[in-house]
Amino acid sequence: MNLLKRMYRNETSVPFAKLWKPVGICSALILIISVGSLGFRGLNLGLEFEGGGAWEVPATGIEAEEVRDALRPLGIADARIQTGGGVLRVRTELSKVAQSDLQQGESSDPIVAQVTTALAELTGQNESAISVSTAGPSWGEEITNKAINALIVFFIVIALYITIRLRWEMAVGALLAVAHDILITVGIYALFQFEVTPPTVIAFLTIMGYSLYDTLVVFDKVRDNEHLLANAKLTYTGVVERALNQVFMRSVNTSITSILPVVSVLVVGSGIMGAVTLKEFALALLIGLVIGTFSSLFVASPIATMLRNRFGDSEADSSRSYRLSEAVRKRSKGNQPALKVPANPAIPPRPRKRRR
Amino acid sequence: MKRQVLLPLLSILIIVGGLLGLSIGAGNSVLLGLDLEGGAEVVLEPVDDIDLSGEALNEALDRAVEIIRNRVDGLGVAEPDITRQSNRIVVQLPGVEDQRRALEVVGQTAELRFRPVCAILPAVPIQLDQSNNQNQDGSDDGPVGILPTDVDAPSVEGAEEENAGPMTSTPEGIGCENLGFTPEEALGMQSSDTEDDEAEDPVILPLLDSEGNPYQRLLLGRTMLTGASLETADASFAGFEWQVLPVFRSGADGIDLFNAAANACFNRQSICQTGQLAIVLDGVIESAPNVNTPFFERDQIVISGNFDQNRAQDTALVLRYGSLPLEFGDPTDPTSGSRVRLVSATLGQDSLDAGITAGIVGLAFVALFMMAYYKLLGLAAMLSLAVSGTMLWVILAWLSETRSLALTLAGVVGLIVSIGTSLDSNVVYFEHLKEDIRNGRTLRSAVDQSFPIAFKTIFWANLASLIGAAILYFLTVGSVRGFALMLGLASILDLVATYFFLRPLVKLIGMQKSIQDRTWLSGLPTPVAEEK
Repeated sequence: MNLLKRMYRNETSVPFAKLWKPVGICSALILIISVGSLGFRGLNLGLEFEGGGAWEVPATGIEAEEVRDALRPLGIADARIQTGGGVLRVRTELSKVAQSDLQQGESSDPIVAQVTTALAELTGQNESAISVSTAGPSWGEEITNKAINALIVFFIVIALYITIRLRWEMAVGALLAVAHDILITVGIYALFQFEVTPPTVIAFLTIMGYSLYDTLVVFDKVRDNEHLLANAKLTYTGVVERALNQVFMRSVNTSITSILPVVSVLVVGSGIMGAVTLKEFALALLIGLVIGTFSSLFVASPIATMLRNRFGDSEADSSRSYRLSEAVRKRSKGNQPALKVPANPAIPPRPRKRRR
Repeated sequence: MKRQVLLPLLSILIIVGGLLGLSIGAGNSVLLGLDLEGGAEVVLEPVDDIDLSGEALNEALDRAVEIIRNRVDGLGVAEPDITRQSNRIVVQLPGVEDQRRALEVVGQTAELRFRPVCAILPAVPIQLDQSNNQNQDGSDDGPVGILPTDVDAPSVEGAEEENAGPMTSTPEGIGCENLGFTPEEALGMQSSDTEDDEAEDPVILPLLDSEGNPYQRLLLGRTMLTGASLETADASFAGFEWQVLPVFRSGADGIDLFNAAANACFNRQSICQTGQLAIVLDGVIESAPNVNTPFFERDQIVISGNFDQNRAQDTALVLRYGSLPLEFGDPTDPTSGSRVRLVSATLGQDSLDAGITAGIVGLAFVALFMMAYYKLLGLAAMLSLAVSGTMLWVILAWLSETRSLALTLAGVVGLIVSIGTSLDSNVVYFEHLKEDIRNGRTLRSAVDQSFPIAFKTIFWANLASLIGAAILYFLTVGSVRGFALMLGLASILDLVATYFFLRPLVKLIGMQKSIQDRTWLSGLPTPVAEEK
């Protein structure tokens, strides 16, 4: 039987445990590059975070696209352009030094004068009619601080949630996987110096939510298979490997359904229709979603398994009797005659005898 | 048996269809954010004669930005853009097409009110308990004392009260008289909403400790005077503690009103039995000092208490400016630097079109994939997506109307991503179904057996998202809050659509005899294990 067919039938037997080490090394390398570029190059924070300059020109009947075209030669095609009330406003990033100079009424950075000239030419206004001022960040420190505090609470509560619902080892695995995904995505932004805007931050948060959700689905499968620990049928690693194989096709399919729309945004939205702002945003999401699925299988699971093998009581696991299934049977009583109910709904029923 | 499945299926279709009809009938539609559709802009420039400069001006402006942001956030979930341009504050509000409305939101100055404290209540409402009546004597432990610097000021009778404005629900009276209910009854009442804080009605407001947790609630009588009676206020360090020094206007509208209140409180008259006078800003108790003298000179008043430097200065600022720590020019006055106008989108229609086209194309590919892989079940999944999508649209349109939610480009892309993720619950279910059938169950029993297990997985995973979303929603501001809302909505709708729509639909499919034998149609393996 070929591999695709086996995949379709969830009968793959990928030796995940053997792959963990080599994949983990690759993952670690990428992580080092990400953190390294984050440390050395830093993030290219946009106007909304760092502030910049604002030009206001009295002008009517001018289209934002014309302004954008005029600013393109200056390398600031991504400026925020708004019209309204007979005023054209252009905002773009400036260095901190240029900003504080501008506050003093000087313009040390040549770009300030260049933008003024370009806008004067475009609108036919005198340069003196253009007011130049600093533009403060709209995403101020207050917002960032609140978001960081909220994220800390978020991680603590989610860690507790997973510990109560599943296991503490899984909580550690899941949160490290989330951190891994976010660090790599943010690292890509640092490496290529993509501009970080508020939508980018939202993309990071989306990836975080997705990664967590995906990991929980995988861990739930692992838990459903834990009954195989009883009577030493399988080691914990074996249980996890089995669960990952069962959930593998679901991971692949979910990735496909999640990624198709994002690829479409990248290709159709940004490539064909030319919405530039969508490009980097979609790219971040694409990478994040792929890594988010990947990390459930290759980061969260090995970490949880490793911790469990190290700190868990494997003796107790393997000698555990069938108490678990009894609890389940009691619970599901009343719905159906007890005889028909499988001992544990998570255990698939025995295959029927093959028909001749 | 069939009816058991068709009934819930039809009900949810009718409910969702009805909601959609109602939403369209009410004219609700989803507002678009600043980046896609623009909005109204208010530019605030400080008046020329402010006495602040340099760092102090800088701080005041930052504080004003913070206050405006809190105010806009308090009104809903719009993602406003609030920035400083040099000394001006630029506030952009999405979805606001009316300049007057924008001015209302930004320019509305907070109202400062002085209300007598009628009773001190525990932090949480409790059931009526007649015997335990400690309300009347709570004055001794008031946290703050009010003292005149000029101690030998003569005492004076209460002046005429003027605040007999229109009253709707409560009977006539001033201060704590004739509240319409007794303090004992108030024990069981909920705290008043900040929005319901009417000057002429008594209110129950929480008193917060330094961490912002309520430790007491105060039953406050009708407003005795407002911030309009104040001329200015200052904070000063007097020997060993920080104090706030308010200065009232002279005359009947100023110090006389205050003295009337002070006299009533000092003499524990029925309109102010506890002797405490609360200073309330925008429905928040700033301070509730004891009145220790019946008469005050207008510029000899000291509010002392457990103030640290920041709190004293903040309170003084609040007393001085009502809400914003600076006086700004009137935006409707063309000679001032302040303005109000409508502004265009920063990204515009092109980006929205691109986003929507990309979404549709992506959706088409997803549908193709799902139907190729899961056949009829894939179709069921897409129908389920349509149901949850419709519900999402209805909710977003409703939030646009009531909470001024505005969809930004990031939001649109977020929705596109949620297409894929919300299909995950279907995938989890279908994979389980396939596994069960392959293991020998009949389609019918597999449909029944697989759902609870698959749904359990989906439920717990979505619950985690939901908890995360709630935390982010309540603890953050601006776009992060918008994201949290979307995440939470998507998680809930995923569960609702899966349980109430997908489950009966798949059950219905499982019942069809014609489908059970046609694996090419159901996309499921035959129950009998094939040759390995």
